Amino acid sequence: MTDLWPRIEGLLRQAGRSVERPARYLNHEWGCTYKPDAPYRFCMVYPDTYELGQANQAVRILCNCVNAVDGMAAERAFLPAADMCDLMRKEEIPAFSLESCAPIAEFDAIGVTLPHELAATNVLEFLDLAGLAVRSADRGQNDPMVFAGGPCAFNAEPYAPFFDAIMLGEGEESLPELLALHRCMKGEGASREDMLRAMARLDGVYVPSLYDVLDEEEAQRRGAWAVPRYDDVPAVVEKRLWDGFAESDAYEPMIVPYTEVVHDRLNVEVLRGCTRGCRFCQAGMMYRPVRERSADNIVSAVCRGLAETGYDEVSLTSLSSTDHSQIEEILRRLNRALEGKGISVSIPSQRLDSFGVEMAELVAGGKRGGLTFAPEAGTQRLRDVINKGVTEDDLFGAIDAAFAAGWRRCKLYFMIGLPTETDDDIKGIASLAQRAYDRAKKAVPENQRGNVRVSISCALFVPKAQTPFQWDGQIAPEEAKRRIDLLRRSVKYRAVDVHWHEPDVSLVEAMMSRGGREVADVVERAWRSGARFDAWTEHFSLDGWRAACDACGVSMEGIAQATYDTDYIPPWSHLSAGLFVKFLQRERKLAQQEKTTPDCTFDHCSACGVCMGLGTAIQTQEARHG
Amino acid sequence: MADFRLRVTYRMAGRLVMLSHLEVARALERIVRRADLPYAVSQGFSPHMKMAFGAALPVGVGGEEEIFDVQLTEYVAADAALARLRQASSADLMPIAAHYITKDDAAASVAYPFSTYRACIAFDDADAGDDEDLKRAVASRPVPASITVVRKKKEKVLVPSEFIVGDMVRDGSVLEFTLEAKKTGSLRPDVLLDAMLENSGLHAVSVMRIRQAAQR
Repeated sequence: MTDLWPRIEGLLRQAGRSVERPARYLNHEWGCTYKPDAPYRFCMVYPDTYELGQANQAVRILCNCVNAVDGMAAERAFLPAADMCDLMRKEEIPAFSLESCAPIAEFDAIGVTLPHELAATNVLEFLDLAGLAVRSADRGQNDPMVFAGGPCAFNAEPYAPFFDAIMLGEGEESLPELLALHRCMKGEGASREDMLRAMARLDGVYVPSLYDVLDEEEAQRRGAWAVPRYDDVPAVVEKRLWDGFAESDAYEPMIVPYTEVVHDRLNVEVLRGCTRGCRFCQAGMMYRPVRERSADNIVSAVCRGLAETGYDEVSLTSLSSTDHSQIEEILRRLNRALEGKGISVSIPSQRLDSFGVEMAELVAGGKRGGLTFAPEAGTQRLRDVINKGVTEDDLFGAIDAAFAAGWRRCKLYFMIGLPTETDDDIKGIASLAQRAYDRAKKAVPENQRGNVRVSISCALFVPKAQTPFQWDGQIAPEEAKRRIDLLRRSVKYRAVDVHWHEPDVSLVEAMMSRGGREVADVVERAWRSGARFDAWTEHFSLDGWRAACDACGVSMEGIAQATYDTDYIPPWSHLSAGLFVKFLQRERKLAQQEKTTPDCTFDHCSACGVCMGLGTAIQTQEARHG
Repeated sequence: MADFRLRVTYRMAGRLVMLSHLEVARALERIVRRADLPYAVSQGFSPHMKMAFGAALPVGVGGEEEIFDVQLTEYVAADAALARLRQASSADLMPIAAHYITKDDAAASVAYPFSTYRACIAFDDADAGDDEDLKRAVASRPVPASITVVRKKKEKVLVPSEFIVGDMVRDGSVLEFTLEAKKTGSLRPDVLLDAMLENSGLHAVSVMRIRQAAQR
């Protein structure tokens, strides 16, 4: 493969201090795997800068999986920052991988993870910088295959024309299978068309070019927007699930970056899936069922991981780590093993109803930074609508425990614009946060009360595919701003800050989340007009997206804000996270009735369809007590 | 508590010269952890490893003999500690020596105020001339009488002759010079080179701190 490093180094040298963070482009970190002699070469791409992508679990896990296969090498690539993209274009240097510093176009296949809705233009920026056609249909026989996966694959339509194949669900087994098929057929000299046809027959693989896209009227009549052109192509692509997760080694080799990245710590995945059943939450729907790794497995992985990386912090990651049936035992054993080493153990998300006095003592060792809790809604009525399953008493109990144990700052996370929300729910957020502040103050010694801070952080509800709220529209940005103003006016305490996520950004997120294949044209138009790094406040422009929508005849508001009955067929109905549509419909109806559904790891089965449909089951280490 | 201060000399070269001082400090701390040395941890709100670093290098400048100190709670033979550190390090950020120091020794950050740098210079346009042309071009670049730098949004005028110790050696495409770090401030080698090579069609392809000394 071509080694671009001399040119990159020259670029960095000559640009001097005008290129930010050269460490993004260096490679040579501790823990890298480099297989220069492997005949089949795959590149895993994160469509944003190194410091955002290097910590990504998908990049880490999937590179390890592919590198474990004989004859296959996986390298990493990230989108260079805007300054470097521009410089590389000027100097005609293509996008490159880190390990070989090779042009992306020289790889056999590349895999792009789609982490969130605002990464779409970055995907096109990367493909173009790599010298590849942005649309699958325009790629030649010798071009690499361009695959995708990740959370956004569950409504792949706004991305569909850009990828040759899209993988749904967990990739530990399916990615090596897909690459093995490609390697074999490429070796036999098969055409691109034949390879894609064969890939479409693999479980969990969606090949968009093999489907006809219908208009809305016909889609509603036939029950799908995308219908296969051939009999051997599945009408519904169901997600892949890695059933071996719970039994597998929790130790996952990890690269230690030089430059500071997000989540710059050892991450050990303790469980996968969450069945709390929050009705807005896509992650809770798509990673089902719950699978826990054992305490022995986790403790041993943490000790080995710390020894091999040299990190001074470990995070026990999952969607809801405090729900692990052995979490107290795990934390107790780790605190004992790491005592006196200046190493802290953290948990990324704390459930309000499982954060008691004991947990407060066990988390974070000697360090007491900020804590984040997510009540999501200000009133019990609305928390029941969204099936959050926590009460005010849970919040106050957690606040008592945390502030008594030494914490002084707490962030409360809420969503604005949830289905059925009224002004009373907004005022409820202010009331809840102020009462939480009162409780926090009471829990700390009098001379430290001045340090107590509670902040409210709110984001606009974005309806997500494959959730019970997929049929619910988003409120208009103007209405969102009115509700934010109402919240700000309702907060009377100076010690309670209000922060919010820009509603304009959430509007684009909602369009990407719910759009059909027509939105792909909007993405391309927006990118060609200069949109990239949309998740970065300084780069985002709603005007650019509006202009792209106008040019393509697409209504952004129409897609983001329309509310439908549950018999409406959404554009992603041919893609399945394994949930019964009936389950989603029932959950949406229960939401409207303000009725909750219990977590099936604590209570009875909620008949979501995953265990039955995918032939799997909940795997907890011990009985959970909710 | 027992106090064993180990001074480690390391080499920073190759592409890792692009790391910032903060990035190097973090990497060295992780090397010590990976080496499983019995490092001391500070007490307080945010416990951290007791470590001290030598004078910072600018991004793009490497070092042949850089230093850091780490405080240990138990004695480990310096050679054994070095072997463990080397095993936990990347080739381009590699410990090369280790010895114990006492409380009388100067702190790592101020131990060596005199730094000698070697810069290799090239034409921006590789076809601009041959070795002789390059030698003449390098030889002809004067040291500016003053350099204006912006620090913390304030302009400051530095006089290179106050920082350059001895003669600047020009050997073909190589420039070698020694700078003194003063209590009132320092002249960075990259800033000096930028000023010398400005609008000359020349640039530095590598800059290394080749020596550090306590005295002239």
